[in-house]
Amino acid sequence: MKLSMTPQTVHLIDQYDDGENSRHYTFQLAQPTDEIIQPGQFFTLTLPNFGEAAFTYLTPPNNQDQFQALIRRAGSLTSELFNTQTGTLLGYRGPFGSGLWPIEMIKDKRVLFIAGGIGLPPLATAIATLLEQDSNIGLIYGSRNPAGQVLKLEREEWHKQMPIIETFDHASSSQLTGTPLDHLDTISQKLGGEPEAVLTCGPEVMMSAVGGYFAGKKLAEESIWLALERRMHCGIGLCGHCYFGSSYVCTDGPVYSWAEFIKQQNRC
Amino acid sequence: MKSYQLSSLDTLFKQLATQHEMFEPQQLPGSSDLHWLPSQEGPADQYSSAKKRLPLAPAKGFLFAEREVLFHFDGKTFIKTVPKVKPQVLFGLQSCDLCAIAYQDQFFKGDSHYQTRRQATLLVGFDCLTPCDGGCCSTVDAGPFVRNGSADLILHPKGDEWLLISTSEQGDRLIQPLNLSSAPSHWLEQRHKGEAEVVKRFPSDQHIKSSIKKINQATITAEQWQQLGLQCLTCSGCTNLCPTCSCFTTFDQNIDGESAAFKRERCWDSCLYEAFQRESSGHNPSKEAGERLQRYWFHKFSDHYADEFNRYGCVGCGRCEQTCPGGIGIHSIMRRLENAS
Amino acid sequence: MFSSSKKVINTICPYCGVGCGIALQVEDDHVTGIEPLPQHPVSQGMLCAKGWSTAFALDPHDRIKTPLIKENGHFRPASWHEAYQLITESFLAIKQEYGPHALGLIACARATNEDCYAAQKFTRTTLGTHNIDHCARICHSPSVAGLRQTLGSGAMTNSIEDIEKADLLVIFGCDPTENHSVLGGRMIQAQQAGAKLLVVDPRKTRLAKLADLHLQLNLGTNIALINGLLNIIFSNGWEDKNFLEQRCENVDALRKKVAGYPPKRVAKITGVPVKKLQAAAKLYSEANRAFLAYGMGITQYTSGTNNVIAISNLTLVMGQIGRAGTGINPLRGQNNVQGACDMGALPDVFPGYQEALNPTNQDKFSQAWRCEIPQQKGLTSLGMTSEALNGRFQGMIIMGEDPVITDPDQNHVLRALKALDILVVVELVMTETAKLADIILPAAAFAEKDGTFTNCERRVQRVRAAIPPPGEAKTDWQILGELAKQLGYDGMQWPNAEAVFNELAQLNPLYMGMSYDKLEQDNGLQWPCNETNPTGTKLLHNNQFTRGKGRLIPVDHTDPAEMPDNDYPLYLTTTRLHYHYGCGSMTRKSPLLERETPNGVLFIHPDDAEKLHIHTGTPLRISSRRGEVETRAVLTDDLPVGTVAMPYHFKEAPSNQLTNTAQDPITKMPELKACAVKIEVVTAP
Repeated sequence: MKLSMTPQTVHLIDQYDDGENSRHYTFQLAQPTDEIIQPGQFFTLTLPNFGEAAFTYLTPPNNQDQFQALIRRAGSLTSELFNTQTGTLLGYRGPFGSGLWPIEMIKDKRVLFIAGGIGLPPLATAIATLLEQDSNIGLIYGSRNPAGQVLKLEREEWHKQMPIIETFDHASSSQLTGTPLDHLDTISQKLGGEPEAVLTCGPEVMMSAVGGYFAGKKLAEESIWLALERRMHCGIGLCGHCYFGSSYVCTDGPVYSWAEFIKQQNRC
Repeated sequence: MKSYQLSSLDTLFKQLATQHEMFEPQQLPGSSDLHWLPSQEGPADQYSSAKKRLPLAPAKGFLFAEREVLFHFDGKTFIKTVPKVKPQVLFGLQSCDLCAIAYQDQFFKGDSHYQTRRQATLLVGFDCLTPCDGGCCSTVDAGPFVRNGSADLILHPKGDEWLLISTSEQGDRLIQPLNLSSAPSHWLEQRHKGEAEVVKRFPSDQHIKSSIKKINQATITAEQWQQLGLQCLTCSGCTNLCPTCSCFTTFDQNIDGESAAFKRERCWDSCLYEAFQRESSGHNPSKEAGERLQRYWFHKFSDHYADEFNRYGCVGCGRCEQTCPGGIGIHSIMRRLENAS
Repeated sequence: MFSSSKKVINTICPYCGVGCGIALQVEDDHVTGIEPLPQHPVSQGMLCAKGWSTAFALDPHDRIKTPLIKENGHFRPASWHEAYQLITESFLAIKQEYGPHALGLIACARATNEDCYAAQKFTRTTLGTHNIDHCARICHSPSVAGLRQTLGSGAMTNSIEDIEKADLLVIFGCDPTENHSVLGGRMIQAQQAGAKLLVVDPRKTRLAKLADLHLQLNLGTNIALINGLLNIIFSNGWEDKNFLEQRCENVDALRKKVAGYPPKRVAKITGVPVKKLQAAAKLYSEANRAFLAYGMGITQYTSGTNNVIAISNLTLVMGQIGRAGTGINPLRGQNNVQGACDMGALPDVFPGYQEALNPTNQDKFSQAWRCEIPQQKGLTSLGMTSEALNGRFQGMIIMGEDPVITDPDQNHVLRALKALDILVVVELVMTETAKLADIILPAAAFAEKDGTFTNCERRVQRVRAAIPPPGEAKTDWQILGELAKQLGYDGMQWPNAEAVFNELAQLNPLYMGMSYDKLEQDNGLQWPCNETNPTGTKLLHNNQFTRGKGRLIPVDHTDPAEMPDNDYPLYLTTTRLHYHYGCGSMTRKSPLLERETPNGVLFIHPDDAEKLHIHTGTPLRISSRRGEVETRAVLTDDLPVGTVAMPYHFKEAPSNQLTNTAQDPITKMPELKACAVKIEVVTAP
């Protein structure tokens, strides 16, 4: 883990719109890295004069030191990023986080991913890793409406390799509606049985509902995992902003087991 | 650890001042308030037990600066800023503040800005021979006598003379030229026994002890915290003055008004601010004042942190009680929590 | 030995009128941090979020560092000499063509007493007019006018320490925990220690939520409410008969007037149930010592002066004045608005509230200043802008105020300032008003100069220079002295701030016994401080009122000038936020304070929001008969149904596009607290 608060340089080398108010970005590190990035880890981007914010890796740096991220426009920094031209030099720090998706533990299990809205990108590295290992995995992806869906190209690829159910809060009659939990039977059929591990990311209320449901179904608390979002200013456990109970999401998370999540939640 | 007999503070002060910038609590003209100020003349006349008071603003900023530049960007590269610190002595620290520095030393062990300042700093502590107003250091094992290892040099009054204890190599090295004679052996023993006598003179701390229990057993309801939260005006005073509080935020400042060149500063932040955790999406995990207040006291008194740092996050200095406009500093809130049912 | 680049300087917080003591930590001529002062009599070691953020406000990066002259729509740096020359030529030409009455000056309630004294002296001696005013016009001019009629003096009658001596605190139309936080905090602590808390406010403020009793009255119904309370008090015989007999006059007329306000009628007008009215009347009557504080929820109405008179009536009838722990206590907004008034930065009075058109006073000042005193009545700030639009007012100096943001009906102000021949703005940073200037002169900030501020409890306190001004910036009194010399008056050449203070103390009977040395000794002195009261005065009116007997003046309820109707169905009121101050030019430099609130916001009750399909964050267009602004909604049930509220700090969403210029007939105070608006959801393009 890097303790420095000073970024390295990174170039924005590609961007395209991918969902409402969302864009798919590719960055090129100026200095080569040999750091292995684990599924679940995140990085920060600095936009000169607009500050720094944390984002999740969509793909870790490849052999050309390029990595990707899916970013939704929300505040002043992301608004500025959406106005930034390809080729611009930005700041990068990372990777951060030691709470990781438990790939080794679940790779031989039936794994269900449940994503809500912009919660899909943080699951992408775990999905890709498990697909590489031919694991039995499925995804339920809930969005407010079709325009709110992200990772169009990635989903097209995944559709070829795994069952995916896409559901909406508001949709036309030809599409599925309801929450992800409404479609568990369908996905279980496709997976050949009820999930043995659940990885979820999305709004905190959704994750609480998902975790609560599966914990109630007697799925071991260590088989339910979720990734938290918090405001962060350092990524190295110092600034204090991302506290969650007695943990810091930046160093102890961002991925928590359901057991740890409940424990920390009761502390704050 | 070595102990010496010191006949005059002045000798020690002058010796330290040959190689260091000296800071000690002093008054400004026309005011009786104490501030950490540069001192050239020699030790201020305030270390006899009767006069001693704690400066309301702790020495925290000497090590964890209230504002400092982390790096600057020239349009092409990000260049780390290293703080320039002259060798300095903080002369006249009390045990509570020394415990807080030890706490922050641990918290900021990987923070190069903090460590640069810390390594240039020599700590000279004084034993408190009387409880101070609002202080409750003895409740949280942070005083009234200086804990070994928390200061480089410890001073303990012995009538007109001083027992000087050196607990670090740097301390040894600096006082060596004074050729002091060893302290009489019974001085150390007397000091050892003496602390209990001072502790007896502190007012009752039952409200704090029983409320620490309640905080750890999580028996205070969200509604009770929310009611108390109404009294938090989000001034940030408690966190600014708390010698162990360490939260900060970062912000960018443009350098020349036009290009991308900028510097990033960090500055003290407060977990009591409503937007402390608010994300750009608008989601706020600690939206309610009660939740934030609970967090603050959880951070000070939770056993989870005590396990990590070998002590509570509160050093019993009592500054929050003095500075809180809403009347929910340590004593007030602990009394309310004690009575909450 | 090392010589240190660090120091700490004691001074006074530059924000609100509470006047907290702060110490500035200075390193290499930069203010790096703030310390509270535990022994300070007002703040006692406390500060609010604004005070704690003062170091950011002093960041030099956006400061104006040289005089600026506008050419072809752009500012260019200029020398002081060139700027003075240009102003002199322009002012002399206007004087010649239109007379001195076409010139005027807006002083600054944030500047020091020395600056304000210099501003009014400059206006009266050098410009040759009484056209001087400042923002007290839009905060507490009704307090000055109303209390002068009833008591003879318009300031806080008691001291802040009286909060702890009271057994009832009455908080009337003010939100002290947000706007005067340290004072508000002392109220919370007093309640914790056993005092009762009665809050009268249309909003559920923090104190209202903590209160023992909250009267949530409709906007603009203060007089009806007070008359109703008096009706209940008189009907039960609860009034303080001895006090009325010995200290007051005109009680029968008041009795007769309030007889027309029976509880049922009052409940209907105010929306406060009869039971609560009775409970409040009882609470106030039974109080041994009741400390009443009020703010702009009283003054910023077309009925502002009458509202203040009603407050005074209530207090006098119960004899809750002239003793420790009681009193009528207007909470002043700006750090030195009390001082700016005391200094005579007003069109109708010289320093010390000496009538400007009174011949004896004119002689006194003519001799002291060695010049002719103008005879024509001076214009208020709104008078000056109106005359500018009529083409009869041509040249203006604005010292550190930002009327484009802070004054009502922004479009009126903009047109007026643009209509001037010459606008000179003396400022720290490029405010919205400064952008309209022809010439900008760089001013020194509070941490860069010596002087005094006077807080709301009449405490005159020393402000001390901690750092040098950036670039070529100077204090207001230096600038005005130099400009006066150019314009032909050399009676303003002071060597230092203390010399200015010594001059003003001689001419102001309230300050006569003060000197910098004496101010130093006791963290300031409360006026009147003179031969009879050499250590100052904590309590006014203890034996008799300034005017002799306290005058009870019957007043009637009147509706606000504009009320909701079919076209504009909602009431808009303006508020302030704890985190921001005035036009935000100082507080918005703090990343912490700026983070706390979005750039402009409209508060709306969930019931109103539901009807309009509005959620927190929904973009809205708010319009009134005068203008429109766009901002985002925040839902809160702190407001009553039918009333929406906007803070006025944000140039991104200036509430003063909407507010009404309808004025209190006596003081010309605009009605900033109530106007009618409509709201539409802005749909994405």
